[in-house]
Amino acid sequence: MGTEVGAETTDGPAGRPALRPVGHEQLMALLDHTSAVIYMRDVDGRYLLINREYERLFNVRREDIRGLTDHDLFPADIADAFRANDLRAFARGVPVQMEEQTRGDDGERTYITVKFPLVDEDGRPYAVCGISTDITERKRAEEQVHQLNAELEQRVRERTAELEASTRELDAFAYSVSHDLRAPLRSLEGFSQVLLEDYAEVLDEQGQQYLGRIQANAARMAQMIDDLLDLSRATRTELSRRPTDLSALAREVIAELSARDPDRTVDVSIADGLVAQADPHLVRLVLQNLLGNAWKFTANRTDAVIRLAVEARDGVDVFTVADNGAGFDMRYAHKLFDPFQRLHSTAEYEGTGIGLAIVQRIIVRHGGQITADSRPGDGATFRFSLVPAPTDWEIR
Amino acid sequence: MSDGPILLVEDNPDDVMFTLRAFEKNHIKNEIVVASNGEEALQRLLPDDGTPPLRPALVLLDVNLPKVNGLEVLRRIRHDDRTCTLPVVVLTTSNEERDIVESYRLGANSYVRKPVVFGEFLNAANLLGMYWLLVNEPMPPRRGA
Repeated sequence: MGTEVGAETTDGPAGRPALRPVGHEQLMALLDHTSAVIYMRDVDGRYLLINREYERLFNVRREDIRGLTDHDLFPADIADAFRANDLRAFARGVPVQMEEQTRGDDGERTYITVKFPLVDEDGRPYAVCGISTDITERKRAEEQVHQLNAELEQRVRERTAELEASTRELDAFAYSVSHDLRAPLRSLEGFSQVLLEDYAEVLDEQGQQYLGRIQANAARMAQMIDDLLDLSRATRTELSRRPTDLSALAREVIAELSARDPDRTVDVSIADGLVAQADPHLVRLVLQNLLGNAWKFTANRTDAVIRLAVEARDGVDVFTVADNGAGFDMRYAHKLFDPFQRLHSTAEYEGTGIGLAIVQRIIVRHGGQITADSRPGDGATFRFSLVPAPTDWEIR
Repeated sequence: MSDGPILLVEDNPDDVMFTLRAFEKNHIKNEIVVASNGEEALQRLLPDDGTPPLRPALVLLDVNLPKVNGLEVLRRIRHDDRTCTLPVVVLTTSNEERDIVESYRLGANSYVRKPVVFGEFLNAANLLGMYWLLVNEPMPPRRGA
């Protein structure tokens, strides 16, 4: 197109030199120095003009391309698509935007293209201009992200299914334990009692004592089965977070402990306004066990003290249950949260050793952490959080 | 005082023996009819062979039973006009929440977990007998049926 595009030729303001007319050469220079692909075709699809990026990209010279159509340059399907988009721009009469594809040496390349028609004095379109920007890399990155997301979702679905399956299995196992495992214990216990009642005269004192031991152990095993079921329940129960008032729950627990043990005098202090977004039922179990332990292990002290408080550490609420009771040797601290691990003899302090295992499961299910700190004879302090912490954060 | 029989639906012979012993020790003199599975219990309560149906003063129902399980027995008892008002106490080993919830949902009058320690079982049997046979006012005959 040889038409000269005019710019203002009057004097510029404030004595700036007048703008010179912009000619075809200058406009071509402008088109040749952009990274976009620019071209002009007539109504029949014959090339009128291409810029340097077009020449470079499709390895064709501007003097050779005049009069050719896309069907001379590209495979039929691609040329058809280009032509259809040209016709769309003609039909609409305004700039239209679309994505276009070509095949390069490294596979399909994608362009975002704007096409608009040029019209003559009578309003008839005589050419279409196209400006195409290569978005292949962005497109590939998007596809990669899309694919990674899809893979991730698939993996999450698989893991969820696995977890659900193992929870169902655990549930079925616990159900069968709760039904089937206690029945034989009832027989052991019950028949020992029958022997003691109906055959007392043929059993000497020692024999009767042995039966008593069978009964005590049957009862103990029944307790252990119940504890195991509690432990599995702490894992199986659905977690439902709600605003939870730990101060109120702790006061209830302490009230229950003192009701069961009215002779004890314990200096209990529970900080006001301890709240967390947590499962109130499960948090109650945590407090029952931690405060219950504090209560139990301070039994030999006349000046027993139990404290529940909170400290904010790096924005994480860390709840603290501290007592001045028997404590434990930190060398065994790693065993503390394992099921049926006891750091004191049954004769000294009763219990099956399941409480802290339950506590830990509940804390872990909340995404929190728990640690213990103690010295024998010098009390114990348990610290726990109920929300997921920042990476690498640990309760100190 | 309800002097009708007690229907004990229980498949474990040891548990049958303990229950009979507990009632005997507690001087509960009501006749005790034992059904050792769910099918047998239903046959007693809702016979389909012309034998006269059993109308117990109390049904003690285990959950884990061979053939027809206890919860299904309960469902059918409640579903039939002839038995829907019978007092049914679920007496079982489990304290699984789903058993408890399902029992009450199906219309159990009470849910009792069998204690392992016989002394406690004796106590529970005594309380059950006292309440359901002595304290509780039963459904008048020929009304609910």
